[in-house]
Amino acid sequence: MNRLRRFFRSPEAIAGALILALLMMMALAAPLLFPGDPQAIAGPALLPPFQDWPLPLGTDRLGRDVLAELFHGARTSLAVGLAAAAAALLIGAVVGTSAGFAGGLVDEVLMRITDAFQTVPSFLLALAFVSIVGPSLGVVVAAIALGAWTGPARVARAEVLSIRERDYVAGARVIGMHPLEIAFREVLPNALPPVLALSSVIVAAAILTEAALSFLGLGDPNRVTWGGMIAEGRTVLRTAPFLSIVPGVALVLTVLGVYLAGEGVVESTAVRRSLS
Amino acid sequence: MSELTISRRGLLAGSALLLASTALPTIGFAQTPKKGGRLIVAADSEPRNLNPAIVASNGVFFISSKIVETLAEASFDGKDGLEPRLALSWEGTADGLSVTFKLRDGVKWHDGKPFTSADVAFSALQIWKPLQNLGRTVFKDLEAVDTPDELTAVFKFAKPTPFQLIRNALPALSSVVPKHLYEVGKIEENPANNAPVGTGPFKFAEYKAGQYYRLARNDAYWGKDEPYLDEIVYQVLPDRTSAAAALEAEEIQLAAFSAVPLADLDRISKVPGLKVITKGYEGLTYQLVVEINHRRKELADLKVRQAIAHAIDKDFVVKTIFLGYAATATGPVPKNDPQFYTADVPTYAFDVAKANALLDEAGYKRADDGKRFALKLLPAPYFNETKQFGDYLRQALSAIGIDAEIVNNDSAAHIKAVYTDHAFDLAVGPPVFRGDPAISTTILVQSGIPDGVPFSNQGGYKNADLDALITKASETLDTSARTELYKEFQKKVAADLPLINVAEWSFISVARDTVRNVANNPRWAVSNWADTYLES
Repeated sequence: MNRLRRFFRSPEAIAGALILALLMMMALAAPLLFPGDPQAIAGPALLPPFQDWPLPLGTDRLGRDVLAELFHGARTSLAVGLAAAAAALLIGAVVGTSAGFAGGLVDEVLMRITDAFQTVPSFLLALAFVSIVGPSLGVVVAAIALGAWTGPARVARAEVLSIRERDYVAGARVIGMHPLEIAFREVLPNALPPVLALSSVIVAAAILTEAALSFLGLGDPNRVTWGGMIAEGRTVLRTAPFLSIVPGVALVLTVLGVYLAGEGVVESTAVRRSLS
Repeated sequence: MSELTISRRGLLAGSALLLASTALPTIGFAQTPKKGGRLIVAADSEPRNLNPAIVASNGVFFISSKIVETLAEASFDGKDGLEPRLALSWEGTADGLSVTFKLRDGVKWHDGKPFTSADVAFSALQIWKPLQNLGRTVFKDLEAVDTPDELTAVFKFAKPTPFQLIRNALPALSSVVPKHLYEVGKIEENPANNAPVGTGPFKFAEYKAGQYYRLARNDAYWGKDEPYLDEIVYQVLPDRTSAAAALEAEEIQLAAFSAVPLADLDRISKVPGLKVITKGYEGLTYQLVVEINHRRKELADLKVRQAIAHAIDKDFVVKTIFLGYAATATGPVPKNDPQFYTADVPTYAFDVAKANALLDEAGYKRADDGKRFALKLLPAPYFNETKQFGDYLRQALSAIGIDAEIVNNDSAAHIKAVYTDHAFDLAVGPPVFRGDPAISTTILVQSGIPDGVPFSNQGGYKNADLDALITKASETLDTSARTELYKEFQKKVAADLPLINVAEWSFISVARDTVRNVANNPRWAVSNWADTYLES
């Protein structure tokens, strides 16, 4: 409870949490507020915002409702961000723990693989992966996770290296626990908090990467994504700038919200650690 | 001394004369073109092979048609829609077995060697017939080219070939390249493919990858006083949105092939000093077509194809996607074609209820989720409009209970997926109508075409009736009988829907006011620009 209070003591964290809550609500409410296909043609093309109340944010080149697309786009962005971050953290934690706990040759091999992935720019990796496998939501998530797991892996390994020398780990060994069990039931849970602190950065980066991929035409074309909306609006940037600005602002706010909330979490845990 | 004093009257008279002399050229309609100057043009792609005799495509012509000339060019008012270039006259015999070209005298290649009938014979037999993407069909029966003298070339065909077809093919298919440069080594690997040598008004000067192509004036050009320009520079601007900005900033003077997005035209037409030109592309009509894979059992059913045709609101496509810069299509020949078009074909009005009824009739009832069946839809990535039409088609199909999943690919992957792997159910394609159905239109529905030939019937459609009609038309020599057969062809295609023609569109040029003699022939953007000039 203490932690929660500390979290809400900082105004940035509150702002971040509010934005995130709003985004969650948008994502959850999208199918209720805008049932049916968000890409359905709803009115005349290129209607500017605030002209027609049934279509408050106007329409795009084909006459699709921008507000409906924005809400449904929030679903995609959040889904990709959270799924990619979860996948990256999972891979990273498993690789990092295995490397740190096993040591020796396993450590060497796993960490050199991590190095190899880290030297390739993660966006380039995602780009190459999607253009080879073909764009769909699952592939995009995998592509982003592929470039994002190295950070968590390094942090997890560093934590595990210090934890594995602790007395309770030695104790677990003495009572004859299987090394795998020790690694994943005793060591990993204690190594996890600093790894989780990376999640906000990864979610924010994942949302941006997804938007960039969609912007380049490598997103799932059958789903509304903010990056895709910006890309479509770009061709009419001079005549209908709102088509790019609206999803662009949504993207900025989302990443800001995720980052601020993440910072808040990190700070509240940091205080707890220094107190203990 | 008195002669040197400047009187008020004298000064007035003198300056009035001066003023009048500058004003005169703009007052008169037929003004004398001004010589000199550099025309800077936007180029949105960088073709690697610039040899128009091998790659007969608009992307290549845009640059190389100024360097390498054809036997004849399209014309608004010339006989049969043609005007002479390297050939002065052309005549076919009644049996359709030979065509005689009289060539222009005194024409020199850019390297100084004289142009002769041997060059025409070499280009036709060694390049157009075996290597050219379009010439392969049109010149398939070309057996020999006789050269009785240096200025006469007689094309000999093994089978009767309609003279009308040869005539219609001249502007796009008859680029003549120099024999003396191409007779050694492999033609496909000749260095002149990347730095072409021709007889045209401009010489190839320089190419900087990713930056520009530069063409310089050919001082020895056969046209009197032509060309007027000193240089043409093709500024590579792959990003379509940047062409409009470059025009406004006066960095370029001309953006052809709709380099300025359609949605920007309304705004840019109001910019002083710029003009929007819709003429000059009449001979380059693109067709928006839904390609159908007839291997899918649902799509092999005519009722389903009719339902899809009824589900497409062609007016919406023209108005919203093409912003009015297009026309709705009725069949495989575009409305603006003066020779072959007929409006007397079955048409499919936009009628969702009827489309739904047709699908019910065909036995594809809606399931509980409202869907009848699912399809894979591959929109061609070449144009914004083909991609947008893909998005629209997905919506139009969902209104009649067909769940279409869009698959996006880059150009190479799209061509492979559709024309080699046949990994599509529906595709959106932009085939080009080139003045005669036999050049690049009948191939879209004809059966028996090997896998992997792009822009051909790869949907597995087979109609013996239609095949027979196509063969008959390709052998019919009489112009009016041949035209009638192609009208029949349009009716049959519109009735059986091997593919669905949705719209026909051309391109838009945006130029500065100072660029003159723009759009003065039906293939202007890909013609030689010898008479284009810059008014200062």
